[in-house]
Amino acid sequence: MPLDAIPIVAVHGDAPSAQAGLVPGALSGNAPALLREIAEHLRRLLAGAEPAAIDLRAMPLTPADLDWLRERLGSGEVNATLLADGESTIVETACPGVWWVTHRNDRDVVVAEFIEVTFLPELLKAHPEDVQFGLEHLELLISDLS
Amino acid sequence: MQGPLIDTLVRQGVSRRSFMKYCATLASLMALPPAAGRAMAQAMAAARRPSVIWLPFQECTGCTESITRSHSPSLEGMIFDMVSLDYQETLMAAAGHQAEEALEKAIEDNKGQFLLIIDGSVATGLDGAYSCIAGRTNLDLLKHVAPHAAAIVAVGSCAAFGGIPKAKPNPTGAVAVSDIIKDKPIVNVPGCPPIPVVMTGVLAHFLTFGSLPELDRLGRPKAFYGETIHDRCYRRPFYDQGKFAKTFDDEGARKGWCLFELGCKGPVTYNACATVKWNAGTSWPVEGGHGCLGCSEPDFWDGGGFYKALSMPADPLKMAATAAVVGAAAGVAASFANRAKKGGAKAAHETVTLADLEK
Repeated sequence: MPLDAIPIVAVHGDAPSAQAGLVPGALSGNAPALLREIAEHLRRLLAGAEPAAIDLRAMPLTPADLDWLRERLGSGEVNATLLADGESTIVETACPGVWWVTHRNDRDVVVAEFIEVTFLPELLKAHPEDVQFGLEHLELLISDLS
Repeated sequence: MQGPLIDTLVRQGVSRRSFMKYCATLASLMALPPAAGRAMAQAMAAARRPSVIWLPFQECTGCTESITRSHSPSLEGMIFDMVSLDYQETLMAAAGHQAEEALEKAIEDNKGQFLLIIDGSVATGLDGAYSCIAGRTNLDLLKHVAPHAAAIVAVGSCAAFGGIPKAKPNPTGAVAVSDIIKDKPIVNVPGCPPIPVVMTGVLAHFLTFGSLPELDRLGRPKAFYGETIHDRCYRRPFYDQGKFAKTFDDEGARKGWCLFELGCKGPVTYNACATVKWNAGTSWPVEGGHGCLGCSEPDFWDGGGFYKALSMPADPLKMAATAAVVGAAAGVAASFANRAKKGGAKAAHETVTLADLEK
């Protein structure tokens, strides 16, 4: 039997949601509550609290909810790409201090998605010990000049 | 060798940012609050490599295969390298008396501190003579090593529940680790084989918090075994709509409908396959078009047939809870479906397979 005789049909369209009872294309009504949570985190951040994060994967959100949220939050001035074990994007939303963080693995599959409420996401900062390595490297370059 | 983990990782070319990303992802996967990712990164970076002794008993080495090939060279794999694996028969270079000396030395050096990983069931028939290493029975070895361990991780369904060696008629008298050892914390990581990240997740938890994760009634980490395959299955909406594949190549199967009537054990199987997937997130059995075998549940091999729908059990006592879950209506429908299936398969195929005859 030739291989192409095997009736495998790719079915396109909306992938069924992993969340039971949620219809992928429809809003679940859970997203607006998140806006209020983010606002509260921002208030606390301004009052001197620790940065906060919301794990979007842990929320009962449909793809449509995520689109809705993304659209509402908009995009801001900073758009950073981190190339470490796959690509991660760290995007500031139109609300400064609210960041949309998406982690992908090296096969470009989204493995985690967060909203971070912070002045600067921890991932963007260079670690002092890495800076030390950088300095040593630079000193080596300078010593090669002479 | 015994420096903080992050130094070892940096030497291996793992950047701090990829490490932080890994911790954030792992925390999300383990259903920990997002802030835990940062706490984990800090604690794990500073952690010393714990000593690990790995004993293989009645097993097929499939669990070792799964874990060592956790999409290497992934961070999971690296972190796994980063524990001080002091004894592992499949992977260690030493052999013979040297190997056995290494085991005794590791026990002596890390008394009460090391993590004991066991894959494979323990043979108890003929005083354990069915499975011996260096002339010593598994039973004897377990009783010798376990009292000195900080905790035990039973990897794979064999170590956790007895697994395939324990399948009827159980000629070797195979039992689970927890049937022998009663006075140590035991984490069961069942699966045939278990998902690699579940293993590394348990290790990460031990490294981070110095304790074992929260367990369910069968000793499995709740973070990974908290929900059934069915609860998180992407085909679940079809179940809810009553759309079922009736044979493996009918229209329903091609459209990706629910595999319940083809014997999927998803509704009674607690595991993370539906979310974590396999082969670096490529796919998993149900996505590949085959029902779940229920390999992370006790006695899955004796469940009465992989292709029998759950609601027509071969072992009514064991499956009583199942019938309650799926409901009587679905049960009646499925039993009709199974009866009709043989005829359907005949019409659809030239040949009837062994699986069809089983019904």
